[in-house]
Amino acid sequence: MRSLSIALAVARKDLASEWRTRELVPALAQFVVLALVIANFGFQFDSRTAPAIAPGVLWMTLVFAGLVAFGRAFAAEREQASLEAMLLTPAAPAAIFAGKALAAALLLVVCEAVLLPALALFFNVPLSFEVVSAVLLATIGMAVLGCLFAAMVARVRARELLLPLLTLPLWIPFIVIGGQAVQVGMGAGSGGTSSATSLLIDLDILFVVLTSLVARFVLDD
Amino acid sequence: MTSRLNVFEKAALGAVALMVVAAGFIFVFAPQDALQGPVQRIFYLHVSSAIAAYGCFAVVLIGGIVYLWKENPTADRLARAGALVGLVFTTVTLVMGMIWAKPIWGTFWTWDARLTSTLVLWIIYAGYLMVRRLAEPGRQAARFAAVVGIFGFIDVPVVHFSVTWWRTVHPGPVVINDALPAEMLVAFLITMACTLFLAAVMIAIRYRIEVLTDQAADRIVAAAVAVPSKAGSTR
Repeated sequence: MRSLSIALAVARKDLASEWRTRELVPALAQFVVLALVIANFGFQFDSRTAPAIAPGVLWMTLVFAGLVAFGRAFAAEREQASLEAMLLTPAAPAAIFAGKALAAALLLVVCEAVLLPALALFFNVPLSFEVVSAVLLATIGMAVLGCLFAAMVARVRARELLLPLLTLPLWIPFIVIGGQAVQVGMGAGSGGTSSATSLLIDLDILFVVLTSLVARFVLDD
Repeated sequence: MTSRLNVFEKAALGAVALMVVAAGFIFVFAPQDALQGPVQRIFYLHVSSAIAAYGCFAVVLIGGIVYLWKENPTADRLARAGALVGLVFTTVTLVMGMIWAKPIWGTFWTWDARLTSTLVLWIIYAGYLMVRRLAEPGRQAARFAAVVGIFGFIDVPVVHFSVTWWRTVHPGPVVINDALPAEMLVAFLITMACTLFLAAVMIAIRYRIEVLTDQAADRIVAAAVAVPSKAGSTR
């Protein structure tokens, strides 16, 4: 109960600081639209190819937007050395980490709220419940993994290099399963999405449990 | 310098000799495959290397868990050695598989579940070694790497079961399913034993290198600490 209120307090702090500066979300929103513009030139889009190409564009954009968002999650703490201060409090490192991950996940959801309608608008693909739920479920697992490695690389040299290297391989399960669900939801590919939903939930549980077990070794060193 | 070999050199010579024995079983003892011809002989080393890589990454996993639990430097050095040797064996597996795939599938690479997951495995442990290089040496590098090693190991069962979980073009398990003729099975088991011994020797040698590297680093630190105090006493 105490850990939960600590996590919520940390998340509230991060969201408040983002609300005051308004740096990350507008930048990510622009990034997302730019990525769609580039995809438009890189692929040959028409009404026939759009359902096949749009899911790939969605995940490519989401993955790179996520890397930027999670990389920033610990940047401010590093610049002001405030993480050390937070760790000096009796709060459990796992609770602090959960708060950071929650805030970063919510910021990515805001970014998805730009990406998904923009994708549907520009590429004329349906935005079904299956698509939205697959993206949101994948966001949970991607956020805990992304924040874990962001906390790690915040303390090493060449952090911009290392974050994608560590994070992307572990995001692949979410992209495999979520990607398939989005393909089905947009009218390409075959098969149902019900198994994808339960698999994504399983993966979310697995990675939330694992990261909460190891978070203290990454934060408190 | 004595001309006698130390235990590591002896073990290395033994491992090389055993690999030559395994080559004899692969190329002389095992019969030619009726369908695939000589290319099938890649199978023996390809599968053995994959199993050796699994073993190495299990060493990384266990070393990482023990390090996080007990802060034991031996466990960390063992994990370091396992990651490097495992990466070498994953490379061998991938390259051998590609050489086999070209004549059999007509292409070096296809985005098959097992090939893809093995490539991801390679990238994960390459990332592990990158963390070791970029993090502050000592406790931080060991802790961070242990976390990567624990998460990375999730991909090992994915690689292993990929041929049963997804529809793939990669051949399924032939050894457990009793699909091999007796001579091929013998050749495979001997190759596997020799490869596992080679992997163990490589880990042992790498472990020794890690010990010596750590000792050298400690000596540099000790010397840096000692010099000012000596200068202070002469003045």
